[in-house]
Amino acid sequence: MTTLTQPGAGAAMATPDASVRPVLSVEDLRAYYVLDLFGVKREVRAVDDISIRIMPNEIYGIAGESSSGKTSLIKTIAGAIQPPLTVVGGKVHFDFRGKSIDLYSGAPADLDAIRWRHLSYIMQGSMNVLNPVRRVRQAFIDFAARHIAAPSRRAFEEVVVAHLDRLHLSPHVLDAYPHELSGGMRQRVTIALATVCKPEFIIADEPTTALDVVVQKRVLAMIREVQREIGSSLLFVTHDMSVHANLCDRLGIMYAGRLVEEGATSDLFASPKHPYTQHLISSLPRIGDRTPREGLKGTPPNLADPPPGCRFHPRCPMAMEVCRTVVPPFVTAGKGRRVACFAAEPETIPDGIANATRSIAA
Amino acid sequence: MRVVFDLLRTNIEFAIGMFLLAIVVIVSALSFVSPYEPDLIYVVFPDMPPSAEHIMGTTSRGQDTFWRLTFAMRNTLLFGLSVAILSRILSLLIGLVSGYLGGAVDRVLMSINDTFVVIPLFPILVLFYFVMRDSMSWVGLAIIMACLGWAYDARLIRSVTMSLRTREFTQQSVFSGMTTRQIVSQEHLPYVMPIVFSTTMNNMNWSIGLEVTLSVLGFTNINTPTIGTMIYWANQHTALVAGVWWWILFPVLMVVILFIGLFLLAVSMNEYIDPRSRLSRMKGAA
Repeated sequence: MTTLTQPGAGAAMATPDASVRPVLSVEDLRAYYVLDLFGVKREVRAVDDISIRIMPNEIYGIAGESSSGKTSLIKTIAGAIQPPLTVVGGKVHFDFRGKSIDLYSGAPADLDAIRWRHLSYIMQGSMNVLNPVRRVRQAFIDFAARHIAAPSRRAFEEVVVAHLDRLHLSPHVLDAYPHELSGGMRQRVTIALATVCKPEFIIADEPTTALDVVVQKRVLAMIREVQREIGSSLLFVTHDMSVHANLCDRLGIMYAGRLVEEGATSDLFASPKHPYTQHLISSLPRIGDRTPREGLKGTPPNLADPPPGCRFHPRCPMAMEVCRTVVPPFVTAGKGRRVACFAAEPETIPDGIANATRSIAA
Repeated sequence: MRVVFDLLRTNIEFAIGMFLLAIVVIVSALSFVSPYEPDLIYVVFPDMPPSAEHIMGTTSRGQDTFWRLTFAMRNTLLFGLSVAILSRILSLLIGLVSGYLGGAVDRVLMSINDTFVVIPLFPILVLFYFVMRDSMSWVGLAIIMACLGWAYDARLIRSVTMSLRTREFTQQSVFSGMTTRQIVSQEHLPYVMPIVFSTTMNNMNWSIGLEVTLSVLGFTNINTPTIGTMIYWANQHTALVAGVWWWILFPVLMVVILFIGLFLLAVSMNEYIDPRSRLSRMKGAA
């Protein structure tokens, strides 16, 4: 088993190199849950104006509390949205080796062509993605066989067994029903299932959430190993900051449907700029530190009716007059860093607002 | 196969049900070695009580009750099976499609479904008999009953499929590019199969019961030997008044055995499908 490397090992990836083209570029993506109940229209802005670029061979983490729109964002990126979630604007562009695709302007057939082979998605609650009445072998055949151009069933099975072997899984799991495997085992089988076609881009939505820390470590090591081996990019979502610290090269912090800060994991942990990130990081327990952790008051806003201006301002200890009315732009702040906060980047405050910098914090 | 042995070992209802059903199947199978033609009458002395030569006696129409019964049992069993299989196909198709697709398709199919649920069956079947008269064979009756008997189970299958639709493995199947037909037939069908098996038994009981009722009243082709028509002819010849009790008793006994057997199988299947009761019963045996 490989030991997890410390954050910073992949920091070189943090600076976008002009010569390397990003695998994924998301531009101003907006995806709302559009509800029309009894003639009353409601929009829940789960993904609002998000731009991300992910380089080849990079692990990008998305962090944020529950209901901050993480899962909606990656469902949109994976092209796995179903009504009422609809893309309102923006672009999702994948640039695979020899194949590029715009997700929300291309034909649906193109999307089917890249799924699994180029883009795979380890879903939330992925312990349950195996059909309880089908053997694991059948799951591989159902989900992956069409994407691997194997001449025969036997050849396909050899590919699967070789892949399982690479992930230190016994080929016996193929004959098991999902309920005969433990939770961690099922999780690893699911990851094997998602990576058997050696996709260039893997999306993982909270793959370790239901596992205890020991199994979690093993699963994370496995994800990392398979990512290295295939050389793919990984978009990793969890609310667990310590997992992010261990795994990710770069990190994006989401709050209420928007990205509020982005940067190399080590930089972000060393000097968080956005007050929300500061709270997230200071909430982590540290060995030897016995001071009580301070909680953040209030709850995340209702995304059907988000507060105007900065969405964090009602809970922000550094909120100013300007935060109430103006949405802070997501600007570059140092090497490989971006942040959306007037307090962190006072230059971005627009002119002509009275008492713009007067504090409103209670 | 292992499941059957486990059930035989741990589930007494299943064992008894299987035993009773085996009796019925063996009796029906004996019709193939019958010494008498099924349609011929007055081939033996009429009204003979059970004896070594005629173990269930002979009827007033000069038939051997036992051998007549083997044909009747075979036809009744085949009738029940074909109604069950035909109506299972209908209810599976409609339940799976309706549950998986949802929306407008679901609403249309379920309106049709609910119409069939509330249709009064017995008058409709009698009406069919009066319209079709002599052209009403047991195949025709089986098709009509299958068309009337799928609705309850289609609703059951639909509700299971609706919950399957929201499971992760369905989403994963959609994501992997499987078509609707593939998802329904490869992912959902195996899941609902145990329910289908269980409802098959109940459906057979239902259809055989209705067939017997119709036949006893003479609303079917009375020349086809079935359990119902046997009782019909016995009544026509006032068997009970004439003291030919064996003509009535043995068909009724056989159909009761068949009913209890199927009922016990359905009950044990239901219990087997519910994992909680299965575990508590098997106690690690499986």
